[in-house]
Amino acid sequence: MAIRKKQPVRDALDTYFEDLEREFERWRKAFFEKPSWNLKACTLEPLKDVKVTHAEVVVTVDLPLTVESSLQVKPLDDETLEISAKMKRTVHVREFGVTHHKGEFQRFHCHTRVPVPVKMNEMKVKFKKGLLEIHIPRKYKQ
Amino acid sequence: MSLSEKMDIIETKSVPSNAMMLFGFPDVGLVGVIAAEHLITELGLTEVAYLDSRLLPPIIVLHEGLPHSPIRVFGNDKLLLAVSETAMPAEVIYPVMHALIDWGKSKKVKLMVSLSGMPAEDRQNLKELKVFAAASSQDLLRSAKDKGVEVLAEGYMVGPQAVLLQHCARLGLPALTLMAQCFFNYPDPEAGAEVLKGLAMVTGIKVDVAKLLEKGEEIRLKARDVMQRTQQEMAKMKKGQELDMPMYVT
Repeated sequence: MAIRKKQPVRDALDTYFEDLEREFERWRKAFFEKPSWNLKACTLEPLKDVKVTHAEVVVTVDLPLTVESSLQVKPLDDETLEISAKMKRTVHVREFGVTHHKGEFQRFHCHTRVPVPVKMNEMKVKFKKGLLEIHIPRKYKQ
Repeated sequence: MSLSEKMDIIETKSVPSNAMMLFGFPDVGLVGVIAAEHLITELGLTEVAYLDSRLLPPIIVLHEGLPHSPIRVFGNDKLLLAVSETAMPAEVIYPVMHALIDWGKSKKVKLMVSLSGMPAEDRQNLKELKVFAAASSQDLLRSAKDKGVEVLAEGYMVGPQAVLLQHCARLGLPALTLMAQCFFNYPDPEAGAEVLKGLAMVTGIKVDVAKLLEKGEEIRLKARDVMQRTQQEMAKMKKGQELDMPMYVT
């Protein structure tokens, strides 16, 4: 009973720290800019988003022109996912109108940090119209 | 000094009077920009003016080695279309919109229409995307409704389209905002096509959207960086407030 009474406080604290972490991530992105492409690895970084609900973490990744069968979602540890997918065709840098860089892209590749404890082994993946949706149930301390 | 006095609009060609003026600025789903780019291609619109100001970040867009302002106005003899190729910093939205509206007023623009998106919570599972309208006057709103566009009755609006409605209502200029349901954070060409269908219903400006839908995945690929920058600006202007439940005050 006593534990139940403490639950709302702990939830509120969890939410506070999650919000703080997301805000920090936003500032980190704004101040430490890097290109969204890597010519050495021939990869593009896709747009992604992470949402935290009471029950789960939902990661979405925009993967247009992706070969669905090549899609890989791999947990690297308890809080990091690696997402990789082959593109339907090679995309040349010149297609973006850029002539001062030479190269091509063949894959999407990114890492995503999950901001709260989750059960990685219960992760579920959906892919529809080039949008990847990853659902991971949250793990609460007993 | 009014907000628009700090902005220069430089005309590069003769600008028609009594035209309709459209706005396609980076926002949720990049709906306005995607729709604007399609209109420019399909209707063969050419640059008629550009915006210059020290309030804007020191950015130019190079096309074939030549400098261009990121905020330009395209047009033909009946239509003007203001578009931005880069994310607009939140702090310049007021002066940019005021300058463009005041300039449009000086050209006796008969109607201003902003093309935009409205984030939908479960976007990836929506089979049909709705288009909503909000307007600067009751008559315009009724007209949009009569032509089959649903009215956004209550809620919050954040961004260039909010300034358009507010400033035009104050000046007594007819203005309309069309918003297609879309992804919040991802470029959404399907929503771009829907907002153009809404535009056709309300104004009669029709373009074939088949090519836009065909090129959808290519557009999503190429719009990643603009979307990323737009996300940062949307966070600054509290764009997420559009998803808030309004508190109705009579």
